[in-house]
Amino acid sequence: MRSDFVLTIFIYTFLSGILTVTFDLIFGFTGQLSMFHPAVFGLSAYVTHLLVLHVRLPFWLATLPAAAAAAALAVVVGSICFKFRLKTFYFAVVTLAFAEMLRLIIVNWNSVTNGTLGLVVSGKPTIWWPGTGIVAIRGPVAWYYLTLAALGATVFICARVLASWMGRAFGAIRLNEDLARTLGINVFRYKLVSFAIGNALASFAGGLYGYYTGYIDPGYLGINQSMEVLAMVLLGGQGTLTGPIVGAFVLTALPHVIDLRAEARAILYGAILIFTILVMPRGVVGTLRAWRVRRAA
Amino acid sequence: MLSLVAGQVLNGAIVGSMYGIIALGITLTFGITGIVNFALGEFMMIGAYATFALAERGGLPYPVAVVPAALIAAVAGYVCNKAFFRFTRGNLVNGLLVSIGLISVFESAVLWYWSATPIEMHYVLPGALRLGDVSLPKMKLLVFAVIVVVIALTYVALAGTWLGRASFAYAQNAEAATLMGVHTERLVTAVMLYSTGLAGLGGALYASLYSLEPSLGGVYVLKGMEAAILGGIGSLMGSLWGGVILGVIEAVGSIFLPTAFRDAYGLAVLVAILLFRPAGLFGDES
Amino acid sequence: MACAAGRVSGARGGSLLEVRGVTKRFLGLVAVSDVSFTVARGEIVGIIGPNGSGKTTLLSVIAGMVPPSDGAVIWKGEAIQRLRPDVIAARGLVKTFQNPQVFAELSVFDNVLVASHLALKHARGRHRALTLVGIEGRAARGLAARVREVLGLCELTRAADQPAGNLSYGEEKMLGLAMALMCEPELLLLDEPASGLGHEEVDRLTAVLRRLHDAGTTLCIVDHKVGFLRGLAARVIALNYGRKVAEGRPDEVLNDPAVVEAYLGRAHA
Repeated sequence: MRSDFVLTIFIYTFLSGILTVTFDLIFGFTGQLSMFHPAVFGLSAYVTHLLVLHVRLPFWLATLPAAAAAAALAVVVGSICFKFRLKTFYFAVVTLAFAEMLRLIIVNWNSVTNGTLGLVVSGKPTIWWPGTGIVAIRGPVAWYYLTLAALGATVFICARVLASWMGRAFGAIRLNEDLARTLGINVFRYKLVSFAIGNALASFAGGLYGYYTGYIDPGYLGINQSMEVLAMVLLGGQGTLTGPIVGAFVLTALPHVIDLRAEARAILYGAILIFTILVMPRGVVGTLRAWRVRRAA
Repeated sequence: MLSLVAGQVLNGAIVGSMYGIIALGITLTFGITGIVNFALGEFMMIGAYATFALAERGGLPYPVAVVPAALIAAVAGYVCNKAFFRFTRGNLVNGLLVSIGLISVFESAVLWYWSATPIEMHYVLPGALRLGDVSLPKMKLLVFAVIVVVIALTYVALAGTWLGRASFAYAQNAEAATLMGVHTERLVTAVMLYSTGLAGLGGALYASLYSLEPSLGGVYVLKGMEAAILGGIGSLMGSLWGGVILGVIEAVGSIFLPTAFRDAYGLAVLVAILLFRPAGLFGDES
Repeated sequence: MACAAGRVSGARGGSLLEVRGVTKRFLGLVAVSDVSFTVARGEIVGIIGPNGSGKTTLLSVIAGMVPPSDGAVIWKGEAIQRLRPDVIAARGLVKTFQNPQVFAELSVFDNVLVASHLALKHARGRHRALTLVGIEGRAARGLAARVREVLGLCELTRAADQPAGNLSYGEEKMLGLAMALMCEPELLLLDEPASGLGHEEVDRLTAVLRRLHDAGTTLCIVDHKVGFLRGLAARVIALNYGRKVAEGRPDEVLNDPAVVEAYLGRAHA
């Protein structure tokens, strides 16, 4: 019983980790504060599940159109935002506005999405495993490995991109857009690429989360999700790949370690966010790294 | 049909004026300190609930309850400024993030104490005025009048007084303003106090018309931001116009298109305006 | 010298860069007025003028940072005045900044590495996307070596691992130059490269620029250190109040009465 509990924490950590790492790609590495992440998370949950339900696609196949939809949407929203060179505040507000619009569409398209009541997901995702054939993911252990693999793949892809010339372009954009431009970097294009990749990868978390919890509702797209992701990334350390995962772990485990009612937990999240920004702006991982560098010097 | 549209326009304008008072707070704070206070809606919520507590529980007559309620919001704003925003002056993104964190804190605290069940005040000024086919509740008209007066007074005060000119000087160039002897920290504190007080007042007025939920802050701050951007960040009268226009768009949009998407119309127009006239309708194009 | 290598492009008879009747107005103030000149491949052209004569604005227009109010900028036969700065840089026309612009948080090495964006693009074109999946290729691997080469040329090897924010002013300017060099320019526009530098640093800068020129890079230098330009430029253009007032060999221009008056007149103003 105990170990199941621990596994559950890790499973939620890994799922949140996919969201936080991909958010950090856009925010910590490219410098764009996007409030659009939860929209993609929720949308892909709906798309994946609806495809499985109505078109009878196997789960893993259904995640692909969801990711494509997420990428397409990101390209549209991103093009609009970046073409008009929206700065930090305006970008955050416009992405929030688009996320809200998407949420409203989902809430009101009752025939398809069942509105505020949400959808119940009763199936189990199935994976084709060499040797065994089609396997249904059932039970904490299987979920643990599945989510771990998903997170691992996400981190791997992000790491590769960030270590490359493209990652350097993202960093340049974050530090000094105008200078980046004079060095030949097409700022619009790479902001868009970062935004598209981040959102597309985040979409995988949506489908998995819906299946794991068995329930999808418009709350996935709410501003609360944005808040959680922000808190996790800032606490763990923006601009790093491990930071968001650490942050996800701490904030996922915390409510289980300290038993709090929902409102108190939300207050705690807000307080952690504020505390982190004021006292530890680089987050846990960032501060540790800086400390280690100073020790070595 | 015409009276329906006219009625909706007027209603929209009145709701819009409430967006406007929040917009004013946002535009003042951003224009002068560069900080975007996402948490401003929470101060409105505090003002609203404080009014409820003072009037319904404390037994104060409504008009008397409004002022302390706004003051409570202002004090809360002062505390937040001294405790948090003071440390994020240099870094605007951090200020933004801190305000987002505050939303969570305030909303959940109120949710904890009062629960999510909507609460209502008793009728403050019952009765309605009839203009032809259109019937407008008197309280709504009063709220509208109060808000317009407050915004106009703010405009006059800032345009005329030393403090006002100092504010604009600071907004143009913080360093130069400091050199000229403007006490920048005091200025920023004053702006924070005033904008949160304004929001509190808006909340107090809101309480006389609608039922209260802890989530109202989140809704209104987004509307307030839309209105501020629409009218042009930094333009004081623009915030009123932006709010009214937004309110009217939402109200009129609801006549011809599904009501459920009411919020989306304003958003769509906002995005369109931002793209084609980034300075907003009345903002400074430079 | 790796810098201009691999960029074989024939100038189609005529000039590399032609500035044709460029005018720039800012809210009623005329910063640049009807300026025309050409720069041929392999030249070193200097632009002088007192403060406020429009030199920096002119360079900004040429590099695509601001659009001209009138006139055209022709690069290798094509009009570029409405193109974005990154597109112009990609075509071989690169500008440095008078106040050095660097990524303060990154190390000196990383600054130049970021600037290798164009070099990779030139070398691999669309295929550079393959590096994302691990197909490095010779060109990508050669980048680090090229960065070190450029750092050595600009005498920044010792400082390579330091954060760019720690550099002295002179070193920062060299870093700005290094980053511009990494972009493999055919024509390098230099905005007051010698300003703020001491004698020794100016000498070093002159040596670096000479080496660059010998390797095939065309240079267009704006400065008001007359001695510095005289030593380098074959041809000098003088500006005053946004207008071109003289053009010719350095000695001719510096003795031109209009130029003398421009400088002296300003000194007395």
